[in-house]
Amino acid sequence: MSEVKIEKLCKSYGPVEVLKDINLTVGDGSFVVLVGPSGCGKSTLLRSIAGLEPVNSGNMTIGGRQVNDLPPAQREIAMVFQSYALYPHMDVYNNMAFGLKFAKTPKAEIEARVNEAARILQLEPLLKRRPRELSGGQRQRVAIGRAIVRKPQVFLFDEPLSNLDAALRINTRVEIAKLHKMLKATIVYVTHDQVEAMTLADKIVVMNKGRVEQAGKPLELYYKPNNLFVAGFIGSPAMNFLPAQVKKGGILALSDGQELKAALPSSCKAGDTVTLGFRPEHMTLGGAGKFALTGIIDIIERLGESGFAHVRLPSGHTVVAEVRGDPRTGSGQSAKLTFDADYLHIFNAEGQRLD
Amino acid sequence: MADAKAGAGNAIVGMGRGSYAMLLAFFLGPAVVIYTVFSIYPLFATIFNSLYLRQPDGAYLFNGLGNFQTLLTDTTWSVPFWNAFRNNCYFFFIHMLVQNPIGLALAAMLSLPRLRLRATYRTLIFMPTMLSVVIIGFSWQLILSPLWGISKMFLNALGLGFLFAPWLGQESTALITVSLISVWQFVGIPMILIYTALLAIPEELIDAATVDGLNQFQAFVWVKLPLIFPTIGLVSVLTFVNNFNAFDLIYAMKGALAGPNFSADIMGTLFYRTFFGNQLQLGDLSMGSTIATMMFLIILVGVMCYLFLIQRRMQRYSF
Amino acid sequence: MRKSASAIAVHGILILYTALALFPILLVIMNSFKARKAIFGSPLALPTPTTFSLIGYDRVFGDSSIVSYYLNSITVTGGTIFFTLLFGAMAAWALTEYKFRWNTLLALFLAVGIMVPIRLGSVSIIQLIVELNLINTLTALILVYTAQNLPLSIFILSEFIAQIPKDLREAGRCDGLSEYSIFFYIVLPLIRPAMATVAVFTMIPVWNDLWFPLLLAPTGGKQTITLGIQQFLGQYITDWNAVLSALSTAIIPVLILYVIFSRQLIRGLTSGAVK
Repeated sequence: MSEVKIEKLCKSYGPVEVLKDINLTVGDGSFVVLVGPSGCGKSTLLRSIAGLEPVNSGNMTIGGRQVNDLPPAQREIAMVFQSYALYPHMDVYNNMAFGLKFAKTPKAEIEARVNEAARILQLEPLLKRRPRELSGGQRQRVAIGRAIVRKPQVFLFDEPLSNLDAALRINTRVEIAKLHKMLKATIVYVTHDQVEAMTLADKIVVMNKGRVEQAGKPLELYYKPNNLFVAGFIGSPAMNFLPAQVKKGGILALSDGQELKAALPSSCKAGDTVTLGFRPEHMTLGGAGKFALTGIIDIIERLGESGFAHVRLPSGHTVVAEVRGDPRTGSGQSAKLTFDADYLHIFNAEGQRLD
Repeated sequence: MADAKAGAGNAIVGMGRGSYAMLLAFFLGPAVVIYTVFSIYPLFATIFNSLYLRQPDGAYLFNGLGNFQTLLTDTTWSVPFWNAFRNNCYFFFIHMLVQNPIGLALAAMLSLPRLRLRATYRTLIFMPTMLSVVIIGFSWQLILSPLWGISKMFLNALGLGFLFAPWLGQESTALITVSLISVWQFVGIPMILIYTALLAIPEELIDAATVDGLNQFQAFVWVKLPLIFPTIGLVSVLTFVNNFNAFDLIYAMKGALAGPNFSADIMGTLFYRTFFGNQLQLGDLSMGSTIATMMFLIILVGVMCYLFLIQRRMQRYSF
Repeated sequence: MRKSASAIAVHGILILYTALALFPILLVIMNSFKARKAIFGSPLALPTPTTFSLIGYDRVFGDSSIVSYYLNSITVTGGTIFFTLLFGAMAAWALTEYKFRWNTLLALFLAVGIMVPIRLGSVSIIQLIVELNLINTLTALILVYTAQNLPLSIFILSEFIAQIPKDLREAGRCDGLSEYSIFFYIVLPLIRPAMATVAVFTMIPVWNDLWFPLLLAPTGGKQTITLGIQQFLGQYITDWNAVLSALSTAIIPVLILYVIFSRQLIRGLTSGAVK
């Protein structure tokens, strides 16, 4: 069992709280991705699990063992750093073997493990090279290899793909997913890229300002975001938000007088101010959805097989809608946007989801 | 990530207070002990010594600032002191007026774009700076010696033979000759420092100036020069500290007496003579310490001027 | 056309100045290989088979102590570089990596020595060395020079250590290295170039210094080469062959080292380390 359990974890630098009451369970063999804007505390949380940052209070266990006061090397973790952190003065073999040597692992065992990792990662021809003689992708694989040879209970990845170019990033992402399946490893992975998060994770943890905003399966976060922050963070382009008033009879009135009639959640009362959310990819230009909004097209960004129409409503708000194919319309034309009830999200004045 | 950097180097996880203290002691101990014992302690002990006066029976008696009063007013002490101080000021001014402008000019030429043999010039011009002052001093003594006659030959070849004189031996010219030899040796330091600062100025700035219609010389004066003022300030304070601490060259060329008639005497040689004694007087620990303390104060004033007046006002630009 | 004219002018000035910088050095070396008559008769001529003479060098090396003075200088310079680098790097590492209460204050304390010349404490240094019974020993010189060079060394090495990516040190921690091992196995190998720069900065003034050898080890065969040459010159002042050879003996090894390491040295000087 290599489950990671974090309870009531708090950390501050002087008066600045960077982690506030974090509770999180990473199941054995699961792939958990921490996402959030920069400065949200996701890297700090990862480094706290690694033992590279001391914490103020709370409890951390790895595989049932409390690790709060253990140095990194005794936590049975392995970390893959954003910059890879390969030792520049050692060749690939020694980079991977270095930690094992210090753990007094027998020589034959070290060799076996390094060769095994090199085989998995196709690093065999590179073992005698120095890091500076490797490409970005190769360095990345060495960094992962260095983690594998340690046979850790938990792998920690700190934005491992952010230094790769776009094409390589997609390749490596797939490699990491395969590796996870093959090694049945428990992984905690930090990124700010939500595509990585959506494609890799069993569970996504969205963080903001030192707190966990929501944790759940990727599609759960996509279809049922708990609050405005998660709703706005997951999905690209971001969800559209419009303020509205609840009127009698399940009518939502926008500030420019357009109205939508919906089956409202029971907690919604007439007179409430709410925020409506709907994703660009769920809207169509024209079309026959249940809800319709009209406005003037500001601009259409055409990407080829699809595009994004920026439509200005009479209230002054701009709504983005995905358009398929090549619409026969353009800037300055009026447009009708439609979407379905299933895809309407309603948030209360505090920004919490209403169901 | 920004959030990763914020926590730089807190206490180390899993390490107790005791072993953390041990760690710090291990890494810092040797340097701090050697530096404190052999550098800071002697400095303070010297200042302390300057407050005591040796009695005829060999005991040392607290004398307050009496030694300083003696040094500055009693003519046995004040005449050589003011003489050395004045000479040292000349020594410094000659460096400021000759060494640093030449260094600046050489650096400006070396930093010209597309200059060939740049590295060769730089290496060769810096060469004298590498050599010991003793060696340099003695070599120049030979070259300027009327016995060998090399200098005279050169002046004759230029038709200036009538100018030749035993410059090092004359009271009126000894100090300036020694100063110029020192300039000759150390011109490499301002040259390299200013050269580095010039290289750090981005090409585009000069391109922009060219587009604005400035020629190379104008671009240097109006764009580059203002940008390297901080370096010139640094060069000046380094010159000041080195000059008021100088000793080797004058001792090597003119001996501890810095003759003729103390005409090349500076603070360093006065201090050496006072502390160790010589043919004319016995060594005097108290007065030696007093002179060293005066040198310390002079250097301190110079460094403070630099830190508070010059460095504070000067803006540093980052490119 | 104007462009090439100004280029020629610049080269002209630089060549003239280079000649001025090299002439005295070359003159001394050239004449040290000549017989006395040629030194005075044709000082500007290169030694020819008829004027060539090593009589000056015979005298210099006949005074067998010159060789041991060289060894003294090598010991003192080598010892100083070793301790300055080791202790300086250790202190720089602790000051940059670890947080503790007196960190900033200690860094300032150590920086004092960059600006204030240690020579001013000479009176007390002598008393101290006498009390420690180290007068006329090379140990005394090594200790004093190490104290003198530590501040700049710590300052420069700190800047370099701060540039080592944080991830790298933490990778070491994850790999199970103790703090001591991180320093010796990761940090030290990575700051080698910086240490070469510091070594050069340390070597030149120590090798060339006259003051402390004169004060702390003036006799007893413990003279450094700089002091030894100075004393030798005093003795043989009228023997031009001996004097010129002694000067050349001091110059030539330094010149050879300089030519070999000038690239490294200039790079060190221009790396902005002294800004």
